Amino acid sequence: MPSFLDPIAGFGVTFTTMFRKVTTEEYPEERKPMMPRFHGRHVLNRYSDGLERCIGCELCAWACPADAIYVEGAANTDEERFSPGERYGRVYQINYLRCIFCGMCLEACPTRALTMSHEYELADNNRADLIFEKQDLLAPMSSGMVAPPHAMASGTTEQNYYAGEFDRPEDSAAPTGTAEESR
Amino acid sequence: MGLEEQLPSGFMLTTVEKFAGWARSGSLWPATFGLACCAIEMMATGAGRYDLARFGMEVFRASPRQADLMIVAGRVSQKMAPVLRQIYDQMAEPKWVISMGACASSGGMFNNYAIVQGVDHIVPVDIYLPGCPPRPEQLMDAILKLHEQIKNEKLGAQRVEWQRELEASALTAIPTSDMKGLLR
Amino acid sequence: MTVTTASTSGDTLEPRPDLVTLTIDGVETSVPKGTLIIRAAEQLGVAVPRFCDHPLLDPVAACRMCLIEVEGMPKPQPACAVTCSDGMVVKTQMTSAVAGEAQRSVMEFLLINHPLDCPICDKGGECPLQNQAMTSGQGDTRFDGPKRTFPKPINLSAQVLLDRERCVSCARCTRFAEQIAGDPFIELLERGSQQQVGIADDVPFNSYYSGNTIQICPVGALTSAMYRFRSRPFDLASTPTACEHCASGCSLRTDSRRNAVMRRLAAVDPEVNEEWNCDKGRFAFRYLESDRRLTSPLVREGGELRPASWDEALVAAANGLKTADGKTGTVTGGRLMVEDAYAFSVFTRRVLGTNDIDFRPKGSSPEEEQFLAARVAGRGLGPTYADLEGAPAVLLVAFEPEDESPIVLLRLRKAAKAGTRVLAVAPAASRGLAKLDGTWIPSVPGSEATALQNLAPDVVDLFGQAGAVVLVGERAAASPGLLTAVGELCDRTGAALGWVPRRAGDRGALDAGLLPTLLPGGRPVADAAARVDTAAIWGAAEVPETAGRDLPTMLKAVEDREISALLMAGVQLDDLPDGAEAALRAAEFVVVLDTHDHAVVQFADVVFPVAAAPEKAGSFVNWEGRVRPSSQPLRTSLMTDARVLSVLGAEMGVAGLESDPVALMAQLEEFSGWEGARVSPPSVAGAPPDPGPGLLLATWRPLLEATHLQSGEPYLAATARAQEVWLSTGEARELGASEGDMITVTGASGSVTAPLVLAEVAAGAVVVTGNAHRALGASGVRVQVAVEGQG
Repeated sequence: MPSFLDPIAGFGVTFTTMFRKVTTEEYPEERKPMMPRFHGRHVLNRYSDGLERCIGCELCAWACPADAIYVEGAANTDEERFSPGERYGRVYQINYLRCIFCGMCLEACPTRALTMSHEYELADNNRADLIFEKQDLLAPMSSGMVAPPHAMASGTTEQNYYAGEFDRPEDSAAPTGTAEESR
Repeated sequence: MGLEEQLPSGFMLTTVEKFAGWARSGSLWPATFGLACCAIEMMATGAGRYDLARFGMEVFRASPRQADLMIVAGRVSQKMAPVLRQIYDQMAEPKWVISMGACASSGGMFNNYAIVQGVDHIVPVDIYLPGCPPRPEQLMDAILKLHEQIKNEKLGAQRVEWQRELEASALTAIPTSDMKGLLR
Repeated sequence: MTVTTASTSGDTLEPRPDLVTLTIDGVETSVPKGTLIIRAAEQLGVAVPRFCDHPLLDPVAACRMCLIEVEGMPKPQPACAVTCSDGMVVKTQMTSAVAGEAQRSVMEFLLINHPLDCPICDKGGECPLQNQAMTSGQGDTRFDGPKRTFPKPINLSAQVLLDRERCVSCARCTRFAEQIAGDPFIELLERGSQQQVGIADDVPFNSYYSGNTIQICPVGALTSAMYRFRSRPFDLASTPTACEHCASGCSLRTDSRRNAVMRRLAAVDPEVNEEWNCDKGRFAFRYLESDRRLTSPLVREGGELRPASWDEALVAAANGLKTADGKTGTVTGGRLMVEDAYAFSVFTRRVLGTNDIDFRPKGSSPEEEQFLAARVAGRGLGPTYADLEGAPAVLLVAFEPEDESPIVLLRLRKAAKAGTRVLAVAPAASRGLAKLDGTWIPSVPGSEATALQNLAPDVVDLFGQAGAVVLVGERAAASPGLLTAVGELCDRTGAALGWVPRRAGDRGALDAGLLPTLLPGGRPVADAAARVDTAAIWGAAEVPETAGRDLPTMLKAVEDREISALLMAGVQLDDLPDGAEAALRAAEFVVVLDTHDHAVVQFADVVFPVAAAPEKAGSFVNWEGRVRPSSQPLRTSLMTDARVLSVLGAEMGVAGLESDPVALMAQLEEFSGWEGARVSPPSVAGAPPDPGPGLLLATWRPLLEATHLQSGEPYLAATARAQEVWLSTGEARELGASEGDMITVTGASGSVTAPLVLAEVAAGAVVVTGNAHRALGASGVRVQVAVEGQG
């Protein structure tokens, strides 16, 4: 090709690109689903009868490299039971301004109480609101759940809960919903 | 800026506020200012796939005098703090700050002597954005939340009133030393 | 303990005849005869895993974890129970497959029934069983049946909880209770897999030392109700502190998180508390979180106290004290650290220009002041815990160690087991004395001096032996002539004299010169050289030379308008003599430095909040005269007493008063080693109690009672001993009462009703345990005793 045509060939590239599919994501209008193992906001899960899975053992707080988690345990009583077994997390806070979304807390959790959702729209205009408390983190109640405190199912011990008899089938799937669903 | 300071509060000022807010939010110009890994995500946000130009803010200005948004993207070391403050001071009013990512917002996992534990120790922050680093979507979410904030910003007499309210609420707030858990 | 290995025993180290030489893992070592193999291995750096072994408890070989191979013995032997003998060849798990296999098997066996609840167990993270299972246990178990479970937890006492399924039956707790504390309330019950620690049905584990069993439990079987689920060990920051509760001076480890104390443990200090402490020191720290804490200065305006800024309060206090113009008295309490006490000493003399200062609570006497100034103040390290352990005989006078200085009791018990004779001049043979296998020298309250003067010659001879110790408690002040008699006895026999106050700050306050006739370091105010010396150290022109007033005189002077202002720090209304309210009301101006809002604060015109002991660095001086340094576990915005006095001094025109604890301590040390004149010892004749109707009351303050330092801790309070009335069999028969009957004891200002216990009580006396001061008055008053309902 003669060299004086080069500038025109260049415009050719521009011209053909105009007919290609646009790569830009129209973010706020349409949200693409995240990869299955995306680390978003935490969720404190429940057993299928509504009891909390968290036992307040603070292993997540210990595993956290950023010291973003604060837990205080307390004893369950027969009158006021929040989780199976002896202990539950009375205070549970995650500071999202420290959290680095590494997921070490999930690995440390002995009861799989802590998982991560795909929710990521967390920006806020002050620091205090980005410290999520237990009520902000607890999974919403789904059908068949009764809000704690209440007793364990009759005839069961905490061993039945730990052995997975009160897990919901969808618990075994890694993602807990997309950003759309969890909002 | 001048004129709006003279307007009496009421319908007139409200209308001017709305127009000024819409205009300002539609053409935020961020300063080209990246400190660490978050800056990579910030660049990605400006590039074709996420395309900040959709929000009228494709130009990252190299001079702070032409910028009105500072995205603090990354950990601020004690040594960088005065530099950051100088850039902020050089930006023209009105100006806004997004604290992008855990390190800028609170020091993140770098809770040590070298890192400023939250850029709000140095400059006033309008939006805090969690993430390590945040995805471009998260940054855009923060920018959109900032847009909302800008659109509702007060001017003139109403701004003075708003500031007085803020001052009053700060006086009655619980001192940090009395807070419990992570709030302390 | 001297250890020489074969390679290093050269020219300088002669092998001593009491050493035995053995080989451990191929290394030859010599250890004293009677050393256990596990200790010998430790000295070589070989850690044999163990659970039941504890260096301060007798060996029992209950857990079998420390099995090692000894050549010539057919089966693996427990290293914690076999003593070394000459020529022994020992192979630990490091070199012997047999020992390693034995230990692995024992671990597997222990874990058969041990629950896997480490995430919620209070011990998880600092658990020997967890650690050793991780380092040397195996990944899985061959046992596939259901684990033995028990309902849990059960209460051994209100404070101590037992999770039986976690127990590995090491018997550390039961051995501690029996051998160390002498409170054998817990025992191993049942056999086989059902073996468990238990208590008798109606006798809870209400030992003053029960917390130690929680600390030495190698698993999480014993937990405390107050710490249960409160925190995890890996989340705690540990700070070495000294206990602020009594003059025993225990080293503690204070564990805190997010600026709140979570728990306190006994720290290892062989010189003082070994590895133990008492439950008060361990559990009583919730007073820090009390909602009665003072957080900002208060100033009285229009009859009401209102919060004020520091500037305003300082100006108000300075003006008030300046107006009083030297007619000011200083009263301090037992909470002060020695640095703060010293700051009060300096402030009172330099800024207020007076010697009117007293640290002693009610019940003090001029005789006591003279005794302390002459024999205790500034004498440095007196008889020590080690001296108690090595003493041939120890005499306790007006001192009930179990209640008033519990670690002294533990050390005396250790001494008594090794042959020390303990004698007590007391109104009754108490349980504490029984633990010491002690000899009781009966004396009714008020006549102890006579009892001391009339000691049998063989008893006097006991104290003529080298190393004998006489311990006198602070209650001796209430008995006229007793301190004189104690001093004379020590002079006559050469026995060492120890004064054991009840409160942690008392000895430090004494050394800092918080007495009207005493400057720091035992210097008498009356001595010109001492005043010059003191002024030189302070860089002051002079120190006031007139002797000051003690507390009762001060309060009287306030009512007579001779003193117009009072400066009070850490004083409870209960510490002041009866009728002190009138004096406080009469005072024109009262400045109070305190941590909590209580009755005395309500009399104040200016109140300064100050930091409590865990919120500041400093030190206490224990009864031995040993400085017990304490670091600062908690951050606070509050100032120390010394700092407040420093800024108040500056406001009043005396700038540059030292407030840094290190500098204060350094300055106080300049006062040590005074060789000049001393206050002469007291010479007060004993006054036998007036004859009259009724019995003589004997009472002392118990370890656990409802004071503000023990507030906020219901579990601890629930382990306190119930109040009892002790009578001798003869008196009881005269009264027609039998054991367990409710007895009403009536004094001048009130009465107490409690069950009768028949005990060895001196004729003419009645003992009311628990704090009977408020209702009945101090020891030595006449009370009427009657069976309830018949009085």
